Amino acid sequence: MATTTAVTPSQGRWIPSTCGMCLHGCGIKVYVEKGVALKIEGDPTNPDNLGKLCPKGNAGLARLYDSTRVLHPMKRTNPKKGLHEDPRWVQISWDEAYEIVARELGKVRRDDPRKLLCALGDFQRILFWGWPAVFGSPNFFTSLGNYCGGSYHPVNGSVDGSFASINDYEYCNYWIQIGSGDGFSSHLHLSGSAKRMADARMRGMKVVSLDPRCSIASAKADEWIPIIPGTDRAFVLGMAHVLVHELRRYDRAFLRDRTNAPYLVNDSGDFLRDAAGKAQVWDLSANIPRAWDEVPPEFMALEGAFFHDGMTVRTGFQVWKDILSENTPEKMAEVTTVPAATIRKIAKEFVDAAQIGATIEIEGKTYPYRPAALNYYRGSQSHGNGLFDNLTFKLFNMLVGNIDVPGGHLGVPLDHRGFFVSPGEDGMLKPEPHQLHPGPVFKYPPDSSHLMEWFPIGFDAGQLNAETLLNPERFGLNYRPEAMLIYHSNPWWNMPETDKIEQIFQQMKFVVAIEIQETESTQWADVFLPDQTFLESTLLNCLEPPAVTGHSLRQPVVKPLGDTRDAYEILTELSERMGFRDNWNDLLNMVCGFTANPKYLLDPDKRYNVEEFWDVYARSVYGEERGLDWFKEHGHAVRYRTPAETYMAYGSLRIPFYFEFIKRTGDEMRQKFSEVGLKDWPLDNYQPLPFWKNSQVLEDGKAGYEYFAITFKESLHTFADTMVMPWLSEVSEKDPVHGGILINSITARKLGFKTGDRVRLTSPAGSIDGGVQVVEGIHPQVFGVSNAITRNVVTNKRVKTRGTHFNRLLTGSMKYTDSATGGLESTARVRVERL
Amino acid sequence: MPIANIAALGTTRKMLGFSRSTVEFEGATIADLLRQLPTQDGRALYDTLVCNGKLRPDFAIVVDGLSLRTDELDKQLQGGEQVVTMAIIRHLAGG
Repeated sequence: MATTTAVTPSQGRWIPSTCGMCLHGCGIKVYVEKGVALKIEGDPTNPDNLGKLCPKGNAGLARLYDSTRVLHPMKRTNPKKGLHEDPRWVQISWDEAYEIVARELGKVRRDDPRKLLCALGDFQRILFWGWPAVFGSPNFFTSLGNYCGGSYHPVNGSVDGSFASINDYEYCNYWIQIGSGDGFSSHLHLSGSAKRMADARMRGMKVVSLDPRCSIASAKADEWIPIIPGTDRAFVLGMAHVLVHELRRYDRAFLRDRTNAPYLVNDSGDFLRDAAGKAQVWDLSANIPRAWDEVPPEFMALEGAFFHDGMTVRTGFQVWKDILSENTPEKMAEVTTVPAATIRKIAKEFVDAAQIGATIEIEGKTYPYRPAALNYYRGSQSHGNGLFDNLTFKLFNMLVGNIDVPGGHLGVPLDHRGFFVSPGEDGMLKPEPHQLHPGPVFKYPPDSSHLMEWFPIGFDAGQLNAETLLNPERFGLNYRPEAMLIYHSNPWWNMPETDKIEQIFQQMKFVVAIEIQETESTQWADVFLPDQTFLESTLLNCLEPPAVTGHSLRQPVVKPLGDTRDAYEILTELSERMGFRDNWNDLLNMVCGFTANPKYLLDPDKRYNVEEFWDVYARSVYGEERGLDWFKEHGHAVRYRTPAETYMAYGSLRIPFYFEFIKRTGDEMRQKFSEVGLKDWPLDNYQPLPFWKNSQVLEDGKAGYEYFAITFKESLHTFADTMVMPWLSEVSEKDPVHGGILINSITARKLGFKTGDRVRLTSPAGSIDGGVQVVEGIHPQVFGVSNAITRNVVTNKRVKTRGTHFNRLLTGSMKYTDSATGGLESTARVRVERL
Repeated sequence: MPIANIAALGTTRKMLGFSRSTVEFEGATIADLLRQLPTQDGRALYDTLVCNGKLRPDFAIVVDGLSLRTDELDKQLQGGEQVVTMAIIRHLAGG
């Protein structure tokens, strides 16, 4: 008979650390006794998550002690490769593993380093994502970030130098949530955000949620508005029409004084400029155009059309006002299925709550006070016209003047370095659409397989690999990749067009994986290099913090299991063996910001171990007195951002309302494509202002794909990564929304389906099968496929492999990609049949 | 003559043949300094990094922690500054 012994706290100790179960990194403390980690809790001293921890964090021990972890370097012995081919791993030494990888990748590097494809994940170690660049490869073979951030990040960076954005939990009173789980189930720092959301609701904040599905946010909102996927922009354009054309209530002072909305636009769509090249505004006192900085605000026209020099010029605001005249609630109701009366009601409630003209004093400084804001994320803007979606949501917030002010819609910086703030042209904040790397320069033939040289204001459109690698000549690519590095990424699972991705895997002569557990993608690996979990490894983390700043330390709380190594050590050793460790150090110098204080520059001739590296990093940010040892003792240096750091960090610089630089970039691209003879590359979305137009996925309805299919995630899971964890999959299995293909009861009756029936959804890209789950909480024209229905290849026998791989329904081609940002369409049109 | 503490990273390290050096130079600007830094191929670093009087967009120069704009090569040096030269790596994957 088994016996149990009670554990008393005195027998062990709590060690501060940082959660690694998603990208954001909540502060945790881990109870360790006799070298065994027994419990994880939120760290109450860390103001980021305030002692809270989501289900994933609580399940962290299950990852550490998962019996199916790969704990030793492995070599494949089965030459046949495929999703269901057993690699027939055999254990090898690290020395042999390194030797094989350095030999095979070294051959590629000497031949043509572009022939290495890299699938990168593990956002907390984003500083290491430059390793392929040092190798010499420009390729990004994954679409993970593009599902959410492809259009989102460039627009945030262009508006206020931020990386992400969120409404002001502290002061907002009226929160419109569109296609997002912020504060309820996902996105920015969930544990702390959920607490902040709960506190705001307790003081009376109203939440209105737009979502095709009755998500957690929708279920807890004051009002849920079901909507057709990919039409959220139409709803918001309808509300903007109400504010501008019907209620005529918008923040004129904000638009005139803090944006470029009053700048005059000529009939080519460019700003009207004087002889010195300065953008001009209309001077109402003299009735002539003059440079923007020569006209006092009270004489600056915000709206209107003026005849000048033989042509009509309009203010940027007037141009959008004219666009909005078409977007009546009635027309937008036809697109969205949301009644026009609802669009009018929400618009009225929003502008009432915004208190245009109000101010608030915080710590002795007076700010505009706009306690109403619209928040959005993946569901509402990860679409083929994602740029327009993001611009619309930003402009709608600007109508009430709530950008970066108390109560409003706030930028969130990438990391501790804060917002990218520097003066641009015409009194504007310089747009920073790229924050993870410098903006790419046009090149033909392109170097990168994901054509990043053709997206100067976009992110890395990894989904395009499905097209380019199977038809390289069509895109001018003059090489074919032969090797792949998988670094905490599962491209087989997370990219669209799975069959094409399999073909690409089959073309690889050599694949190396740095991972913790086997995945669908590692089925093709030749060598498996086992990384350590977040409870065994080291780093300092500060990513997309919505309310705080400062680093939290991830540190080993137990001795690493088996013969695993920290990813930093793996990448450094590979650099060493291939002869570019000096360049690796130099790259870290650049991306870590050590160049700002050369005292901390890594010596290219020295090898630093993982602790030495993070010690340098800590001291470079916090000074000599706060090295790694300080963090080991204190756990974190996280503090609340000050009001000065949070609100209008760009001071008196204007932010864009009329995105002339996007239009200008499109003009330049058109010229460059023309010069190289490429005439059919789509450039339609390089527009200075958003408007309504159908995306390809809406057009697909005409081809007989009557319904929409969406996927969704909740707090239980991070991408596909956590679905192999029994603790979490057991919880998922108990929730019906994760049990199959969600179909509204009205639709189910119409089609004669009942819960448990097997059906097939077919999109233009592919098909998936699954069991019907009849529910009330989903739009009748929409099928929902949970991100938690689990994976296709799972080594843990306690986790069921039910398949239903949503991404098979998606297409990675340019037809389904935003032509300006590279953002990916994440909704599919489908037809349904009973099996 | 003023001195500058140079740290050369990546490609510029290979051009100059050193990673760290303290250099005495004639003149008072960054451009003056670059003209007096010989590269391995016998030219001055200025000739590689500068085109039409502007820093080429493929390179960056950081002086005491502040990155220079491409048109700031006439920036005055007082002596004793920390100058970092580097090539910009554009292909830092990430999305």
